Amino acid sequence: MYLNRVHRTFPKLKKLVTRRQSQAVLSEQNEYTDTPEYPPILDMSLQGRKFRERQELHQKIQAINTVEEKQIALNMPRYYGWKCIIFNEDKVPYNAMPLVQYYTRSHFIPVDKLPEYYKETSEAADAVVKEIKGLIEEAILIENGGVDRKIITSTQKKEQPQLEDALAKCIVKQINRIISNNLADKVEHVLSSQVDYDPRHEAFWFIGGVDAPINVVRWRQQYKYLKDRWYESIDRPIQYLGTPLLTVRNRLPLKPILPFEEAENPEFKVPKFTAEPCAVGYSTEHRHGTNIPGFWPGDFDEFGLVSYHGRGHILGRRESFGPEDHIEALHCQAMKASFGWLLAQANYQGFTTFNDVTYPLVTQTVITNGQLWSLYAYQLNTIEMHRDKVDSPKSNICFGTKPLKLYDSIENGKVQGLNEDVLKMIVQFYLNAPEERDHEMKPYLGEEEQVVADIEDDNKRCWLENRYKHLVSNRPKHYLLPEVYLWERIYKIQFNSRFFEAKRRPFELGINPYTRRLDQHLPPYIPKGLRPYPKSRKKFETTYYPKV
Amino acid sequence: MRLSQVLNRQHIDFMFKKHWRVQGKRVPIDTGLEEQLKAKGIPIQDALEFVKEKPQEHEHLNIVGPYERPLPLDENHPAYKKQPCFTLRSTNVLLEGISQAQVLTKTIIAEDKLPPKIEELAQVPAPTAIHENIKKAILSANVFDCEQKKLPKLKDRERPAYNFPRVLGITDRRRNEILTNKLVQLVEKSSDSEVTMSRYILNDVESKTVFEKEDDLIQFQDISHILVTSNKPVKHDVEKDVTYNEIPDLHPIKCTVTLPPEHFYEEESKYPIKPTVNVRHPHTTWLHYNKTEVSNIYETPVTEQQLLGRSLTHAFTVASAYAKQLHGEDVKDLPEPIYINCIQTDGQKYHFGVLELNTLNVDGTEGTKNVWYCKNNLQLYGSSRYFGGMPVLENYNNKVYGYINALYNC
Repeated sequence: MYLNRVHRTFPKLKKLVTRRQSQAVLSEQNEYTDTPEYPPILDMSLQGRKFRERQELHQKIQAINTVEEKQIALNMPRYYGWKCIIFNEDKVPYNAMPLVQYYTRSHFIPVDKLPEYYKETSEAADAVVKEIKGLIEEAILIENGGVDRKIITSTQKKEQPQLEDALAKCIVKQINRIISNNLADKVEHVLSSQVDYDPRHEAFWFIGGVDAPINVVRWRQQYKYLKDRWYESIDRPIQYLGTPLLTVRNRLPLKPILPFEEAENPEFKVPKFTAEPCAVGYSTEHRHGTNIPGFWPGDFDEFGLVSYHGRGHILGRRESFGPEDHIEALHCQAMKASFGWLLAQANYQGFTTFNDVTYPLVTQTVITNGQLWSLYAYQLNTIEMHRDKVDSPKSNICFGTKPLKLYDSIENGKVQGLNEDVLKMIVQFYLNAPEERDHEMKPYLGEEEQVVADIEDDNKRCWLENRYKHLVSNRPKHYLLPEVYLWERIYKIQFNSRFFEAKRRPFELGINPYTRRLDQHLPPYIPKGLRPYPKSRKKFETTYYPKV
Repeated sequence: MRLSQVLNRQHIDFMFKKHWRVQGKRVPIDTGLEEQLKAKGIPIQDALEFVKEKPQEHEHLNIVGPYERPLPLDENHPAYKKQPCFTLRSTNVLLEGISQAQVLTKTIIAEDKLPPKIEELAQVPAPTAIHENIKKAILSANVFDCEQKKLPKLKDRERPAYNFPRVLGITDRRRNEILTNKLVQLVEKSSDSEVTMSRYILNDVESKTVFEKEDDLIQFQDISHILVTSNKPVKHDVEKDVTYNEIPDLHPIKCTVTLPPEHFYEEESKYPIKPTVNVRHPHTTWLHYNKTEVSNIYETPVTEQQLLGRSLTHAFTVASAYAKQLHGEDVKDLPEPIYINCIQTDGQKYHFGVLELNTLNVDGTEGTKNVWYCKNNLQLYGSSRYFGGMPVLENYNNKVYGYINALYNC
């Protein structure tokens, strides 16, 4: 209208508005090639298309620049969080070893001594053991009765395991202190390593090849065209949660125990375990997947050397499980803890459960109660085990000993039978020096932007920082989660007794509220007074969710 | 969500409940039968006498729960005493701060002065690698640690009823734990092995001392967040010509003001390490000031003077508990003085002190007195946090490490 009127008043104005010229596309000089070039043949079946969709998602996550954005991207499909199988460090059900091995793809090699890899440091360790032997004995004596401590136990858990872990923590602190003080002058990496007490270790990954849960099978059974795919497996999200007593980490990674090519050795193949995890005793919980190796992205010391864990939970297990299963439970704990920590570290290097590591990572794990010590060395070769990689030949390798006694007993204020071999192995874990690798460490991260703090745009940086911390805190939502109330299940779903009512609830409209995506929410409103320009039409703040 | 919204939809049970309530209050109607029967001389007996069962007596069961329940705090409690004991814990502070602490412990103060050996050692410059590691430790405690727990509520003075979203982050307890432990680890790693071999480090051990002052029973209970012990008692050469702050007169306040009286206490002092242990002599004790845990009993914010008083009472607690273990519960003037180093910190500010314990007889202001050498308010860094999404460490002060190192090595 307005424009028309202007045009009528100033008829020449029309001519001033230039039209973009349209041009015919120049035909290529040579349309024909000697050999025919066909487009790739694509599988257009439903499975084929879905497979390509998944691969596209993996490519997109790989292309994201920063660690934090990758973590948000992993959580993008679920606003209410993934229904995760919870892998607690200190909860191992009966006969869980096959499951843990398959879910972490760990080949377990029982050993009595440390592998060949530690041979170089053997002599140096002997000398150190001689020096510190007396101190260690003294420390064990002081911690076992020389000091009055008031240990505050929570009433939520059993008391005995908590007391044992508290004692183990004191002894571990002393042993770590004695060894690192002794080695500080001898080896370079000890001074620069950081020691953490009770860090937060969390890891998140997907596992494929597990039987579909019954509700998924039931849902598929509604549709005829899914008849041949009723029992097809789906990806299961897994969340590891653990708190070691003490960890040591450094700027550089440890050397690989075995060459990376050995990962595909068929000897190390891990057998499948397809039964439902709840059949073994693992439960599920809705939460956002988190990968945290004890520090936020951007810390200097990104690679773990040693982690110490308590074994108090063994006391909480039933006696009828038997001593063999208790030892297996320790192996399970070690595999979970080592894999969980390494996976989280790998995530900070830019790899995710969809983009496999390009080099191996190594950690050393100790499980102890002060007297009994189990030592493990773990090499991470693969973290990609979702449904498209079920048959991947790679596997991780874990060397582990049985629980060994550091000393036999304490009698008359003296430590009887200190086992120097065990002490030597612990010292060797510290002597194992990390090294600079000669390949690129962070191939999937940006060159200039590797963490959110590197981003130049102020708004984007602050927004991503806050969103990431909010996401991984897993704090409860402001609104209650959607649910089907019991009365609805009875009077609306099981018995259609209220057919006359308007259908408004999600289950009546055929909507699953849990498939809501993370970015499906209204961004914060900008009040009129705060908008940048009086006539700005932008009512909502910008969000910077990764585009996956 | 309004509960009524869901409940109102269909709830047969509400109707039933209502029905039961109405039916449960029925009033019996008088039919006149009783009078008719009486008139005919037929005896009447109450039917309830036959129907009513006699109450059965059950044995009292002693139910064993998952954990032992604490005994009720009354006069039958084994720790109950008639005389109240004025108690100072590490979560409480003295009203008058350092001056009240002076009166309570009968101490004179040498302000801004540490023993000459410490001052000498503190001037030795540390290598740059150490300072780099301290910066890493500060950042790791303030920025990079992954604890996400509820921090104190935010309040706006202008609109006190406004509820801000609760911030999650690193609690001050954990922040202090990480930083001080990492500092001690660094000091140990950079010290001579002879020194480190003669030291021992304990976390979170409690000392307790009970003493009488002018007919009042007083106890100090304090937790050393880090207690460095050594195989020999610490000795300091002290300068003679120092001006001391004499013990002030608190009148009209009594020295036990704001110490809550308690009736449940043990009368014996307690030093956490047993006398059989070789490395039992206290050397340096670290005290954390966790803002969320330490407070006045009357809600007013903790002042700087009160903080400084906390250092003195803490050092006195550990030293006197040790002295009583050494010389017995009733010792008054010590044969030779006991020294102890004390560091109080909230992460940023460091208060160093050395206590020379000469006497445990704290009555009056005359006679032998204890001496407190202190150097307060040294700042390790200006600020360290996430600022606009970036980790920041501002104004790092490299002199503080010198003092920490000196206290450990002296």
